[in-house]
Amino acid sequence: MIVAQQKPLEEIKAMIADAQKVLILGCGTCVTVCFAGGEKEVAILASQLRMATRLDGNEKEIREFTVQRQCEYEYNEMAADYIRDADLIVSLACGIGVQTVNEQFPEKLTVPGLNTSGLSQPTEQGVWVERCQACGDCILALTGGLCPIARCAKSLLNGPCGGSQRGICEVYAERETPCVWDQIYHRLKELGQLDKMMEIRPPKNWHPSRDGGQRKIVREDLRL
Amino acid sequence: MNYAKKLLAEVGLEPERLEIFFLSSAEGVHFAEIAADMTERARQLGPNPLKKIIRGQTMDTNGG
Repeated sequence: MIVAQQKPLEEIKAMIADAQKVLILGCGTCVTVCFAGGEKEVAILASQLRMATRLDGNEKEIREFTVQRQCEYEYNEMAADYIRDADLIVSLACGIGVQTVNEQFPEKLTVPGLNTSGLSQPTEQGVWVERCQACGDCILALTGGLCPIARCAKSLLNGPCGGSQRGICEVYAERETPCVWDQIYHRLKELGQLDKMMEIRPPKNWHPSRDGGQRKIVREDLRL
Repeated sequence: MNYAKKLLAEVGLEPERLEIFFLSSAEGVHFAEIAADMTERARQLGPNPLKKIIRGQTMDTNGG
């Protein structure tokens, strides 16, 4: 899922400093599941801002609303009255949601309350680890289902490098980050597919990734 | 509890204002001790600054 973390309260306070009526707009999809921007987090941030701005002697009117998916116009329409009534909107969605609301309601500025940090897997309660960098040219079939783009510090395609020590990556070694190329080797060995590591492959096509500029998918069969 | 204390600290309120205790209904003496400790702690910290501001505003409004 898309994961995000709330920005420090001080940063959010600075962003809303010039506004009087502020709407905290949550999103009920990815950021709800990763406990960053759902209804509950909206309520907590709203309470914090009410108290903090009152203590600062500049109390603001803080309102709350959470839509099902902030990256789609149809859902944001349900918050239209709240959005139009506010001086400023603090979005607790990922960067897609923030931009969608800005685009849909251009007369209002919507600022981000979260830092969006990746496509991650919840590996245990309260822990999210990046698993995909959306490179646009998936190679998981060649690497035993483990992504070296997202999980290798250097995004190497011909690992492991010399920094792989006893299965641990030298980058952030204190966090005991596994070397994904060590994992790939062992996985392919278990699958009896070690020959895949010996294959000479042409360079990966990075055009579908960021090198080609902003990416766009058009499905003619779905268009109206 | 630690999370709630962190939220209060970010806002600018003393996290010591909030505490949680686990005790059974049979521990009347322990309950009284805790209540006395928390009352003393609240006295030392002084009134909740948020309430002070609300009261101040109310008084101003009435006065106007």
